[in-house]
Amino acid sequence: MKMKKKAFLVLRNNSLFVKMFLIMVLSIVAVSLLITFSSIRMSSNLFMETFSISNTKALEQIEIQFEDYSFAVVSAMNQVQNNGTIKRVLTQTDATTIETFRSYHDISEQIERIYPTVESYDANMIVLGNNERLYNVNYSNWPVSWEVLRNHPITEYTINRPNTLLYQYLPSTSFTDEPMIVATKALMERSTGEIYGVLYFPIREAQLKQFYEGYTSMETEVLLVDETGRIVSSNKEEMIGDEAIDVMALAKEVEDEELEFKDVHVFGKDYMLMSQYLPTYNMYLVNLVDKNAVLDNLVNTKEILLISLGIVLLAVIVVFIISRRMTNSISRLVKQISAMAKHDFNMPVAETGGYEAKKIANAFNSMLSELQEYVDLVVQAQQKQRSAELMALQHQINPHFIYNTLASIKFMIQQGKKENATDMIHALISLLQNALSNVDQTITVEQEIKDLKNYVLINQSRYGEGIKVNFFISPDCLDCQLPKLILQPFIENAFFHAFNEKKEGFVQILVSQKGENLLCEIADNGDGMEMKGDYTKEDIKEKRHLFSGIGIRNVHERIQMLYGEEYGVEITSNKGEGTKVKVELPLQKTDTLVKPNKITSFQE
Amino acid sequence: MKKFYLMLLLVVGMVVLAACSSGDEETSEGGGSEGSSSVDTITAWAWDPAFNIAALENAKEAYNGDGEYEVEVIENAQDDIIQKLNTGLSSGTTNGMPNIVLIEDYRAQSFLQAYPDAFHPLTDVINSDDFAEYKIATTSFEGEQYGLPFDSGVAALYVRTDYLEEAGYTVEDVTNITWDEYIEIGKDVKEATGKNMLTLDPNDLAQVRMMIQTNGSWYVDEDGSTPNLAGNESLEKAFETYKEMMDADIAKIVSDWSQFVGAFNSGDVASVPTGNWITPSVKQAADQSGNWAVVPMPRLDMEGAVNSSNLGGSSWYVLNVDGKEQAADFMLNTFGSNPDLYQTLVEDIGALGTYSPAAEGDAYAVEDEFFGGQQLLTDLSTWTDEIPAVNYGLHTYAIEDILVTGMQDYLNGAELTTVLENVQGQAEAQLK
Repeated sequence: MKMKKKAFLVLRNNSLFVKMFLIMVLSIVAVSLLITFSSIRMSSNLFMETFSISNTKALEQIEIQFEDYSFAVVSAMNQVQNNGTIKRVLTQTDATTIETFRSYHDISEQIERIYPTVESYDANMIVLGNNERLYNVNYSNWPVSWEVLRNHPITEYTINRPNTLLYQYLPSTSFTDEPMIVATKALMERSTGEIYGVLYFPIREAQLKQFYEGYTSMETEVLLVDETGRIVSSNKEEMIGDEAIDVMALAKEVEDEELEFKDVHVFGKDYMLMSQYLPTYNMYLVNLVDKNAVLDNLVNTKEILLISLGIVLLAVIVVFIISRRMTNSISRLVKQISAMAKHDFNMPVAETGGYEAKKIANAFNSMLSELQEYVDLVVQAQQKQRSAELMALQHQINPHFIYNTLASIKFMIQQGKKENATDMIHALISLLQNALSNVDQTITVEQEIKDLKNYVLINQSRYGEGIKVNFFISPDCLDCQLPKLILQPFIENAFFHAFNEKKEGFVQILVSQKGENLLCEIADNGDGMEMKGDYTKEDIKEKRHLFSGIGIRNVHERIQMLYGEEYGVEITSNKGEGTKVKVELPLQKTDTLVKPNKITSFQE
Repeated sequence: MKKFYLMLLLVVGMVVLAACSSGDEETSEGGGSEGSSSVDTITAWAWDPAFNIAALENAKEAYNGDGEYEVEVIENAQDDIIQKLNTGLSSGTTNGMPNIVLIEDYRAQSFLQAYPDAFHPLTDVINSDDFAEYKIATTSFEGEQYGLPFDSGVAALYVRTDYLEEAGYTVEDVTNITWDEYIEIGKDVKEATGKNMLTLDPNDLAQVRMMIQTNGSWYVDEDGSTPNLAGNESLEKAFETYKEMMDADIAKIVSDWSQFVGAFNSGDVASVPTGNWITPSVKQAADQSGNWAVVPMPRLDMEGAVNSSNLGGSSWYVLNVDGKEQAADFMLNTFGSNPDLYQTLVEDIGALGTYSPAAEGDAYAVEDEFFGGQQLLTDLSTWTDEIPAVNYGLHTYAIEDILVTGMQDYLNGAELTTVLENVQGQAEAQLK
């Protein structure tokens, strides 16, 4: 489950890369597959087409060879048919020995004159007469006796078709060891229709084979198939004499439909079949091309597939590396940008990776720094504003205070307490002097205590001595600096809020050094209060009768603004036990006055 | 998801494209069929693009019947036509055979006899009387008309009038003469100009053939197969005349067609006794224009001989295959009954037909400046009608092969009767 989630996370983080890579790999594979297969297909088709054209031409050449032989046979046949001597001898009956002797001589003379027409083809020529006469020119080529030949099926067949020159197949077992193709023609007296003899032109299959043998090879086979579907001649000897009716039917189809070739499956193999009908032989010349064998020579499919596989792999690797590099810098950028919030938007992104990524990072960084500048400006402006506000508040002496104090003095004078009135006026004058003087931000502890004492005096004069105030000032702190009227608001608070229930009590003011800090404590034993949260908020209500504009809330803020965050005000209070305020400030002697941080420089 | 479909579409598209690239094979095959089983198209075979092929093309234009079929004209060498007809007809197949074929008259009978059922009779299709009589004998067999006579092989004597004049002769002096007179004139011409009178080819007995036909005789008897050599007076006379020409030393010996044409084109001979088809070849020598005249063929100095003979010529035959009716219809409406076609043939290709009504046309009356303003075609047509009809029979070329050797024996001094008996014996042994 965790693994899955992790994998999903990795996937999501790299989704750009994954998408790009997948699309590219798919495209590469698809393109190379398509190109590979279509080029293999196209080249093999083209090859087969040209192959079929050249083979068709070859077939035409072979056909011419066959026709030449056929013409030679026809010429010889015509000469025999027109030959008076042959006719005379074949029809001669009851001849004397001398007459027979002459006949044999005459007919031999005629036959030997005619025979050269077919001799060049190594064909034999046999003339058979009804009168037991047989003239066999080349005896070694089919040595046959009159009786056998006369009763031979091919003779019967020929006599039944006296007007036609027939080509018949003679299997090897019958007479000789070699199969033969015999052209036969009945010799007929036209006027009477009487058949006086039969003419034979036997040719050995091996001889016939020479017509086409030059055009055959391992991949191409040539067959001569007769009308019954028997293979009468072939360059594959074992096929001769076989029945191949399917081949015959296919050859017929190719011929009838005038196809260039036809893809067929015969003899357990895929062949391209071309065929040529030899009308004079009534046979089909069939050319079978072993497609696979031919194509194996042409296209090494395995090699092409391997090459394209290699190219695909190479391309995929290159694509992987390039897209990885491209997307990597972008994803890194994305990662850095998403983490930007964690670093307060002030951590610049690394400008690495490709050109585009660098540019983006660069633009992002300059935008970021510009933004930061603006933010700084805004913060500064706000601080300046706040500081100005505080400054204004500090210089504001509540008119009520003055009015009330003056009213108190008036009463004192009316009551005749001159001494008291004079003290009070002194205190007020000194207080106002210090509060309103614009000379310094900070004053010494001594001065501050003096002011506080004046303030306490005024308050005690007005409200009675119920609340006692004790000052415990460490002498070494007297000349320390602290912001003006920083403690006054707490005393005021104690006077006006800490003793609402208890009417009497005391307030203790302690100033001492604590390490490098100046620690001022204002503690009372008054009512105390419930600490709900941050004292800087509404916990301490500002009342109208404030001495100056600076309230408790502002004190903390002011200190922090002046000295930094490690300083400030801390209030602890318990209901009925009183309140304790701790003000921590940096220890600043008058002579070693540390320049307050830059915010003070905006004061002028 | 949309993108995915788009990609799918792209891939499918590419597959389809790739598949398409190999899909358009075997669409344009077939076309011109040589077979005649279709009756929409009939095929015709002939051998000379400038002559009989052109005539067929003209005939296609001139066809004025209402049959709806295409005529495909196929050119084959004459020997190929003979071979294809022989092999095809002997095996009894009609596969690959044309509907119409042109056959030389000397060979016609052997085809008609050897393959009696292979030809379609035209007896009822054409009117035999419209054609030159001598053509009918060679194109018919056993009472049936098979061939449609095409070009006339009428022979004529082409003479150089300027050479004759030099020797003191006029055109009239060579008109309607005998071969003996011809030889005498030849001697005078040779004496006067140093030019031979004619060319002779020892392996071609065309002169002998033309001579014996002037007397209505041939190598075979009327039956067309029995050799008629020994005791054939016309043949004896022709042999004697032939020898006389040799003895008179008026003949230039040539051995082929180009030498034959070259001899008269270059002005080496004073006359050319041959078939009218030589006219275009004679006219090739344009610089000899006006120096030629054409007169009737000399006759044998015998009783009954006429001043007209024939050399070559051919006729159309319709084969007995599918489409024979269309082929006969085409023949009838073109060469069989269309005088206008013959006018075109004369004008365009110089082919002189044997269709008598055509001779009355204007094209035949044209005066030929090359031959000194002679109305050559009219004259030739007239002589065509006078050619004695003979049956060329089956064995013209077979017998001539034997005769060529006989002629050599005779010229070498053998007795004429013995020579002829000898060749008769050879012919009888070989032929029947």
